[in-house]
Amino acid sequence: MTTELKYDRSLHEKEHRAGPFEITVEMISAVNASLGEKGPAFTSDAGAKGQGYRGMIAPPTLCSIFVREVQLPDIGLEFGRVQMHAGQRVQPIAPIYAGDSVSASSHLKEVYAKTGRSGTMVFVVWETTFRNQDGEIVAEVQESFARRE
Amino acid sequence: MTYFEDVDLGDQIGPVETIATDEGVASFCDVWSPPTPNRFTDVETARQSGMEGPIVPGIMAMAMMAQLLTDWAGPDSIRDLDVVFRQPVPHNQPLTLEATITDLREEDGLNVAECDILMLGAKGERHVGGKAIVSLPSRDS
Repeated sequence: MTTELKYDRSLHEKEHRAGPFEITVEMISAVNASLGEKGPAFTSDAGAKGQGYRGMIAPPTLCSIFVREVQLPDIGLEFGRVQMHAGQRVQPIAPIYAGDSVSASSHLKEVYAKTGRSGTMVFVVWETTFRNQDGEIVAEVQESFARRE
Repeated sequence: MTYFEDVDLGDQIGPVETIATDEGVASFCDVWSPPTPNRFTDVETARQSGMEGPIVPGIMAMAMMAQLLTDWAGPDSIRDLDVVFRQPVPHNQPLTLEATITDLREEDGLNVAECDILMLGAKGERHVGGKAIVSLPSRDS
């Protein structure tokens, strides 16, 4: 049986932007501290240059931190009430360097239902593209939220 | 350095044991800046959400899993990391990170390894699971 989903489908065509976000040494260092990250490319310019980069780079999932800075609208989904963060996908495309600034652009990627033993859940997926100060795409991030009946 | 030619189907990455401490989560949240109080750093808010205590943010759990891959394959080796949050991840508890190689191929001119990746709790419970694709250097290049 197919669940007919009611929501604002016009949002598939709209982009929601945020940023730019400055990528600082302090920001990268704080994330490193939280993770116990000691990789040379993530912790110093010298270490990064030793691995062929032009300077210190950010851990590959750093952009995920900025996704929620994008003001996303209520899609008007007429299904369930409680929403939970179901999944996350990151596709790093180019290194993000300390000193870069990145901007985010998000759109509604898909809304779909899945039915299992515990009932039907509806998944709402937002896709965010991050570009650096040169307009180069550096990462794509997808966030999935699930709603239960 | 891990080379593509040295990897085989079924090879394991890890396991690596780690802990997300209160301090680590607080440090991560300082950068991420979720609204406060929140279920990541505040005991009462977590309990009101039905948790036993504060939990690790999903994006921090994902960053920990990414670290398993970058330690193995290099700092910008990840092409794709796609995870599902199955159970809340607690603070201050042993966590095991591991991955299993499920495919090796050439893709867009890169040598890539695809793997299933997991974050397990102390009793083997699956907190986070997913798939990843990492690129690996070749001994020939």
